[in-house]
Parts: sequence; C-alpha cells; structure tokens
Amino acid sequence: MLKNQINEIRDEALQAFKGAASTKELYDLKVKYLGRQGSLPAIMKKMKDVSPEERPLMGQAMNQAKDALETAYLKFEEELKRGELTKRLSEEKLDMTLPGPPSKLGAHHPIEMVFDEIIDIFSRIGYYVRSGPMIETDDHNFGALNIPPEHPARDMQDTFYIDEEHSLRPHTSPIQIRTLRSEKPPFYVLGPGGVFRCDSDVSHSPMFHQIEGLVVDKKVSMADLKGTLSYFASEFFGKSIKTRFRPSFFPFTEPSAEVDCSCPLCNGKGCRMCGHTGWVEIGGCGLVHPNVLSASDLDNSEWQGFAFGMGIERMAIIKYGISDIRLFYENDNRFLEQFRR
Amino acid sequence: MKVSLNWLSEYVDWKSKFESPSDLADALTKSGLEVDEVLDRSKDYDNVVLGHILEYGKHPDADRLTLCQVTTGSGVVHQIVCGATNHKEGDHVVVALPGAVLPGNFKIKKSKIRGVESSGMLCSEKELGVSEESEGILILPESVTVGQSFSEYAGLDDVILDVNVTSNRADCLSHYGLAREIAAISGLEYSLPIKTFSTSASSTKKEVGLFVKSAEQCPRFAGRYISNVKIGPSPTWLKKYLEAVEINSINNVVDITNFVMLELGQPLHAYDVRELSGRKVIVDLAEGGEVFTTLDGTELKLDGSELMIRDADKPIGLAGIVGGKNSGIKDDTTDVFLESAYFKPEQVRRTSRKFGIETDACYRFSRGTDPDGVLLALNRASELIAEFAGGELYDDHYDIYPNHIRKSAVTVDVKDVTERLGFEATNDKFESWMKGIGCEVEVSVSQAGSFLITPPTFRQDLSIKEDFIEEYARLEGYDKIPDSEPFIAHKAVPHDVNYILKRQTQNSMRALGYSQAINFAFLDEKTQAQILGDVELLNKVGLKTSAEPVKIINPLSEELGVMRTSLVPGLLKNVSHNSRHGLSFGKLFEIGPTFSKDSEGYKEEWRLGLSAWGKQSNIWSKSDGPLVLEVKSHLENLLTNFNYTSFMWKGNVLFPEFLHPGQSAALFLEGKNIGYIGTLHPKLNEDLKIRETAVLAELNLDLFFKGQPRLRRTKTFSKFPFVDRDLALVVDKEISSGEIESAISKAGGSLLQEIHVFDVFEGGNIEPGMRSIAFRLVYQDTDGTLTDEVVNALQEKIIAAVAKKFGAQVR
Repeated sequence: MLKNQINEIRDEALQAFKGAASTKELYDLKVKYLGRQGSLPAIMKKMKDVSPEERPLMGQAMNQAKDALETAYLKFEEELKRGELTKRLSEEKLDMTLPGPPSKLGAHHPIEMVFDEIIDIFSRIGYYVRSGPMIETDDHNFGALNIPPEHPARDMQDTFYIDEEHSLRPHTSPIQIRTLRSEKPPFYVLGPGGVFRCDSDVSHSPMFHQIEGLVVDKKVSMADLKGTLSYFASEFFGKSIKTRFRPSFFPFTEPSAEVDCSCPLCNGKGCRMCGHTGWVEIGGCGLVHPNVLSASDLDNSEWQGFAFGMGIERMAIIKYGISDIRLFYENDNRFLEQFRR
Repeated sequence: MKVSLNWLSEYVDWKSKFESPSDLADALTKSGLEVDEVLDRSKDYDNVVLGHILEYGKHPDADRLTLCQVTTGSGVVHQIVCGATNHKEGDHVVVALPGAVLPGNFKIKKSKIRGVESSGMLCSEKELGVSEESEGILILPESVTVGQSFSEYAGLDDVILDVNVTSNRADCLSHYGLAREIAAISGLEYSLPIKTFSTSASSTKKEVGLFVKSAEQCPRFAGRYISNVKIGPSPTWLKKYLEAVEINSINNVVDITNFVMLELGQPLHAYDVRELSGRKVIVDLAEGGEVFTTLDGTELKLDGSELMIRDADKPIGLAGIVGGKNSGIKDDTTDVFLESAYFKPEQVRRTSRKFGIETDACYRFSRGTDPDGVLLALNRASELIAEFAGGELYDDHYDIYPNHIRKSAVTVDVKDVTERLGFEATNDKFESWMKGIGCEVEVSVSQAGSFLITPPTFRQDLSIKEDFIEEYARLEGYDKIPDSEPFIAHKAVPHDVNYILKRQTQNSMRALGYSQAINFAFLDEKTQAQILGDVELLNKVGLKTSAEPVKIINPLSEELGVMRTSLVPGLLKNVSHNSRHGLSFGKLFEIGPTFSKDSEGYKEEWRLGLSAWGKQSNIWSKSDGPLVLEVKSHLENLLTNFNYTSFMWKGNVLFPEFLHPGQSAALFLEGKNIGYIGTLHPKLNEDLKIRETAVLAELNLDLFFKGQPRLRRTKTFSKFPFVDRDLALVVDKEISSGEIESAISKAGGSLLQEIHVFDVFEGGNIEPGMRSIAFRLVYQDTDGTLTDEVVNALQEKIIAAVAKKFGAQVR
C-alpha cells in the first residue's frame, strides 16, 4: 500500500521532472518531492504505521525511489543546463567593434624618452647619473671649466644672468664639477638636464636639454672616447651607424672634437636631414683639460679624463624626424601621443 | 668669417692642391675650421654672357624698340628686342639669356614683345647690379671674348667661404692667416706680396708725440705720420674684395685700414691729425666720469677701467674697439696718424662687453691678435695708402714695445702623444707638423722622442702639452683615431637616488594615463602673478614659494623674464593650447624644479604637477564621477606605489586662488602637508579660454621622496574567511566621509580590514541638510574564523562611536 504510494509519487515526480522548462523549475520540483518538506519524505512519517516486518521493504522502496529521482534529476539538469548555456551564449553576443570604456596609458615626452635611452645605454657600461641645480654659480658654470672671466669662450654660451655671481647653467658641465668636488675618482658620470642660452630661432630654443658624460681614470685616450661614443651611437641609432670625429674647440677639453655619426635617416647616402652630407652632428667631446682637473683638486699628472656632451632635442630630431623645435614645449597631445614605448 | 677665395689666392695657390672650393672647404672643416657655407658668386650670373650685335634694326610695330640679332659665340644667334637706344651694330654687349636670374630676382624668359619673339635681354650696369645708376645698356670694348661668362669677365666669379673660426683661433681671422693655415694642413707654400715703399725725410716723431702710459694694457703701439693724403674712392680691386666679404667701401684710407685688417688680422686706426689737440696721442686709462662719443654718435660714460686713446685734452678712441666722432677721417683730411697696436685681449673684451659694442676690430683684439704682426700691418697699410691715396710716408715711425711678448717653450714627449691619442705618433711627423704650424722645434738631447716646442706669437692658443697633442691629431687627421672598445667602468656606483625616484614617478604617472609635459623654467612675470594670485596660499599647502620670483637680468623677452614658482602656469598653458586645438580631454604631468630665493640663496624645489581636463565620451557608464576625485584616486595610486599608507586629504583650508574653493584638498603625507589637488577656478576657465572642467594638482617632490626608497616588508594575510557588512549612516552633509571613515577605522580595530564607501545619497526621505553614506566593512581575523557575535559586537561599537562623534544614525 505504502509502497504503491511511494511509486506513485516517484512516477509523478519523474513525469514532472521531464516537463521542467528550466533548471530553476527543475530544482523547485526537486525540492517539492525530495526536499525536507517534500512529498517523498512526508511518506516517511507514515513509516511508524507500517509493521516491523515490512519496514525494511518500505525503506528499500523509499531509497530506490530517491535514487531514481536523484539520477533523473541530474540527467534532466544537465540537459537543461546545456540548453540554457547555449541560449545564454547567443543572448550575450556583443558587437566586439564597439569601443570599451576609456583606458589609456600616458605617453612619454620625446625628451624624456631620449634621456631614458641614453642613460640606459651608458648605465650598461657602468656610468651613473648625477644632478645639479639650474641656477649655478659663475665658478661652476665657467671658472672651474677653464673659462676665466673675459675669456672669449664665454661668447660661445650666451648666458642668462641672475645676478653677478649666478646664471642659468648654459650647459650641463657644472654637474661634472659638482661631482668631481664631492666624490672620489675614478668617475663615470652622466649629467642630464635642462640648460639655457639666449638664443631663439627655428633651430634654437632658449631652454633645451643636454646630457654630459665624464670619465676620469688613470689612463684615458681619444681612442677610448671614440670607442665609447661609437658604442653609444650604434646602440642608439642602429648597428650600421658609423662615427667620426672632427677637430673643434671647447675650453674644458683638449684635444676637442665634434662628433658626427652617419645619417640614420639615409644611412649615410645624403638626405635633407643631413644636408646631403651623409653625416649628422650629435655632440662635442674631448679629453678633459688639465686645468679642469686641477680646478677641482685632482692631480692632473695622476688622473686623466674624457668628457662628451649631446643635445637631447637634437638627438630626438634626428631619431624621430621632428620638424620643429617648438613642438617640444607646446605639449600638444597629438605630438606626445606618438611617443610610446 | 667670410673669406673670398680670389683674395685668398693672392697668398696661397690653393687650386694647385684642391680641385674645387668644396674640397678646400672639406679640408678646412676636417682640420677644425668648420666651413658653414660655400657660396659660388658666379652662380648669380648663370646664363649671362658676352655677346656681339650682328644686326641692328627697328621693331616692326614699335618705334621705341630695337630688334637685334646677337651672337654669343659658336654660331649661336639670338633675336632680342631691346628698349635702349645707345647700341649699334657691331657693339659688344652683355646678354642675359633665358634662364638667367639678374639681381633683384629678375628672371629672364623667352617672350614675345609686341608680337616679336625675344630670347634674352641686353643688360645695363644697373640691371647687372654692378652700379647704382646707369644709362642705356653696357657697351663693352671690342677686345672682349664673345661667349665668355659675364661673371668671369667682370671678376665676379668669386667663391665665398663662410668659415666658423672657433674662438681660440684668432690667427685665422684674416685671409693671410687662413692662407697660412691652409699651407700648414696641405704642405703648400704661402707668402705675402709685400712691396717696398719709400719714406720721406720728414720725421713722424717730430709731428706727433706718442705716449703709452698703460703698457700693461697696451704692450705694443706703432704709428706713422702720413701727409698729403687725398681722400677719394678706392680702386676697383679693393672695392671688389671688400664687397666680396660684405664690407662697405667708404673711402680709400678707411678701406685700406679695413683691407689690412681682413688681410693680416691686425685692426688699424687712422686719425685726422687736424683733430689731434696738442698733436699728441696718449694711451691711458680713462678718467672716471668722462664722456666719450663714438664714431656713430653713441655717448659712453667712462668709469676709469677703460683703456683710451687720447690727445692732449680729450679721449679720441676707445682702444681696440671704436674710434671717436671727433677724430675720424673726413673728405678733406690730408694728414693722418696711422695706428697699429697690440691691446690686451681681456682689457678690450671687458670694455666691449660692458658697453655692448661689437666691432670687427674688437672681435679680433679680444680674441688675441699677433703682437709680432703690429709693424707688418703698419707698413702694409702705409704702402697701400702711398700708392692709392697719394700719401707721403714719414720716416722715423713709432714702435713702443717695452716688454717683448714671447711664448714659453713646452716639452712634449711623443710617447704621450701616442698614449693620449690612441694611435702611433712618430718623432719625424711630430717634428714636421710642429714646424709646419710655425713652431720652433728643439730636439731634446737628454731624452729621445722629447721635443722642446716654442709656438709662434700668432698662435695664442698653444701653451700646454695637450695643445700640441691636439695639433698633431688635427694635422694627421682625426680619422686616425681608432674605435677602441667602449670605456667600461670598473667601479660600481649607484645612480643618484632622486633620478631613480623621478623615473619611477614618471612610470607611475604614465601608467595612470598621464602624458609627460615639459615647459620652460622661465615665463612672463605678470602672467604667473595673475594665475597664481596670493603665493602665500601656496606656502600654506606645503609648496615653498617666494613672493618675488627670481628674475633674469638679460631675458630674451619680457615673456621669459622670471623663473617659475609653480608648475601650474605652464600646465594651464598646455591645457589651453590643447583645448583650443579641439583636444577636449587629456591628462598631463610635469616633473621639474620651481625657483625661489631666501636669505640663504636660490632654492630649487622639485615638484610633480598634474593637469587633467574634460572627459572622454563613454558609451558604457553614463554617470562619471567628478574629475577632481578621479585625479585624487590617481594620486592615491601613486602614493601606494611608493609604499605610503598614511596619508589624508583635508578640505577645509585656505587654498590657492586659482582653485575652486569647494573642490580642493590639501594632501597630508604622514602628517606633513606636501601639496594640493583642486578643480580649476571657473573664472580662470574663462580667462584662459579653457572650455572643459580642469583639475590641477601639485606636490612637493623633495618631501615626497624623503626617506625613499622605503624598505618593503611583505605582510602575511589571513587564511580564514572574511565577513562583510554594509553600514549606511545618515549624517550632517558638512561632515566629510573621510572623517567618518577614520572614526570607523578606529572603532573597528585590527579585525576591521577594509572600509570603503559604496553609496552616497541625498534627498528622498533623507532630511534636508543630511546625507546617507553607505560603507562596506570587511572583517577578518588572522587567527581563526570570525563568529557573528564578534562581528556584531564590533558593528555595535562602531555605530555607537559614530553616533557619539557625528550624531550619525543608522539608516
């Protein structure tokens, strides 16, 4: 009798499971029949009326019914789930060409990008960055660099003066002096930074950027200097780049040289960038003048050095083909956006 | 310096060594005298040639025009219509053929004039640019070669080099000096075509008294009296040379002094003897307070440091710089006193800089002329004046030179040359190069490969061993320097820590979407003051700013007159620029120094500045938060990147005037105010024409970087489950969410791991003046699973705390 009831409920439940339209409905049916308050457990309450002999049989029937329902449930659930997933996937179809919520990395400034690259190239061979103020003393800007007052070389840097003793540094060389005077040799110093000269036209900006390199060691030659700058140029512009030196004059170096490298744009064949010469000037260099060493209390019979300096804007112009020096200081996003790494 | 190659050829036969002017230019550049430009003047007269009129007739349709058949040699005949009337059949003329471009950019083309074809033009002197005025076309003598180019015929085929003479090479600031240099680098001979001249029996010294009272500033002074000079125009060759190097011809005597300066590098001065009061020339320092009027009428107030040329009672020349208005050569000058001197370079330079006067003379004197060349120049000019101005040269010239200037000898060991250059230098080559540049060379007897070198007086730049090492490299060619391996440091030294920190900051800012800006460190004083307003308010938020900006004595313009005291004016300029160009949103950051001055001196405070403006349109989220809070969260990210956990924003302080007072906050980092954030004040949006809402922030990086980099210690985190609870509180609108958050944090203790605001609500059933702030609180214990009882107790404690402190009600 009770067994029949159990089987009836089982069949009814199986029928209902079959008709379930969603996993939710199926689950609700499972609760209805198998849950704590479900119809099948409700029958268990009637077990007390069953004779002790029949009880095991009843128990068995109950378990069989439960198992059957559980199995059926799992089967129907899986079917329904599959269907629901398919439906969901089709409903969730996105127009993948729509823009996402805005998200943008900031861009580099080309000046900073060039600084980073140059510093990284020299860091690899052990050179390290030092810095100094932009308002400098006359001694750091000139005197200690072998440019005494009334020296014609002062014309080379048309300097902005702050007062009789101070000016805006016209080159990054005072960073050398600060380092020479505060640390012990040997030196492998890089001095990056902003510099200032009273000059403004298509190719000159009154503020621009330089990086200075200084090596002071026991024995240093022009060949060492050239090797170092050749290494730099080929790392910075590309392996095929050649480097050449031309004689020049700087008060703080002797011998002095201008450094050219083969034009990276035309590979030395001649183009507008290099004025059809195949070479572009990238900076000045030379062996440190003995007066510069002695002005910073280094014994110039014991120590020798080389130094080099490069204009950052110029390097950026050569490397990225920037047409107008004013672009560096407008900070126009259309310009900056192009410098990413 | 402009150099005429025709002129240069007088001293050195450069053509025998160099195939073309550009070859010569390359050689000069390679040896250290950079040639900026090679200007072939003959190109000015391309397609302008000498012709011969074969037939002459009238134009069929115009009475005033002539029709000529003109040959330019080799049987070529051109039909040319001409408006002039002074020519006839058989005349030799200058013909500009189609393709020629005459002075004034007058382009010659084939054309039809009143129906008759004309292929060229017969030229007048004026059209050729060889004279100011001319009548009719230029008729040449019969002896000319038909077909010859006009430039060659007229000697206008000069090539001009623009040589960039470095400031150490004053010896190359003349044609002869350059010839000497070319000889040294190429091995050519060079010479000066000095003619002999004769002097009369009269004595210079009897006519004019010369007294050098400042031998220190004027080591050498020579002079000669020349009488019966006839001032007039210079001969053509002289004019042509001067014009070639862009010097105006004035008169024969002045032109000759200029010519000799450009030939030998020695500036000269000629005085009209009539104006020499007391017939005296005195070289002495100025008297303080005196006034001197220069040739061009400028009045200079002298302070006594200037070296003057004077007569018996007044100054007549600023030594080595400029002559006086009172003693120059005039049209009726007959007797002159010619000066050739060596002045101390420093003296000339100091004075010229002080008065801001630059002349060709002081340019050379201040770089150092050749003391040994003084007399040569005097004689050269004398000779030319006698020949071309008819002067009578007096005997018995002055040459006051009490202490002869000698360059001291330097010992150079060729081993050192090899070592410093990095390639093999030989004794023979060293000796011959040094002799080639005019040095006296003595071979050391005691040490092989060692030389005692005495440089010539004209090479002021040679004084130490390194100078001769450079000369050797220069003359051998810098190409000889080999590429060694890069010079690698053999000592490990760290970068400047601030450099690392700045670079980290840049990386963080870029990752947060900000592009890097770089602005000038100087700007317009007024603009800065207008934007910043009361700078005391910047000081109050932790940015050291002096009321008076640091000024530049000699700015390029007013607009770049003072050093910046804040990054804001520059960043706002960038925002305005971008906004005006249709970029309606963006984010920029700048890292750089700001400048101030106090009793200890100039201060440079490094700052980080941010500007953000506008919002990018977004199809996904219609309710974007306020931009200022977005930027604030970016800054918090930056702080977190630097491992800072203890910071707070404070809203109720006095903010700089360029900020919106209700949308600003001061940043306190570990208790110290290091900067601010805020929305740009709307009135500035209007002033600067920025349409979009803009946000600014500025931090003192010196304080921000203090104690960085910090030691990082990884914290362990709990393995036990967390419990989260929401807590919505109704509080007075004026109470900031930050304050409530700190109170909750304090009451929640160590089990309260996280607090964040997830909703803010006003209106509806919330009483006016109040708002609801909903916090999500996350609890977690490191030692076990939290029970409801513990969490509930903490919630109760928090609710009691905020009720007591802020009167907050649970919603």
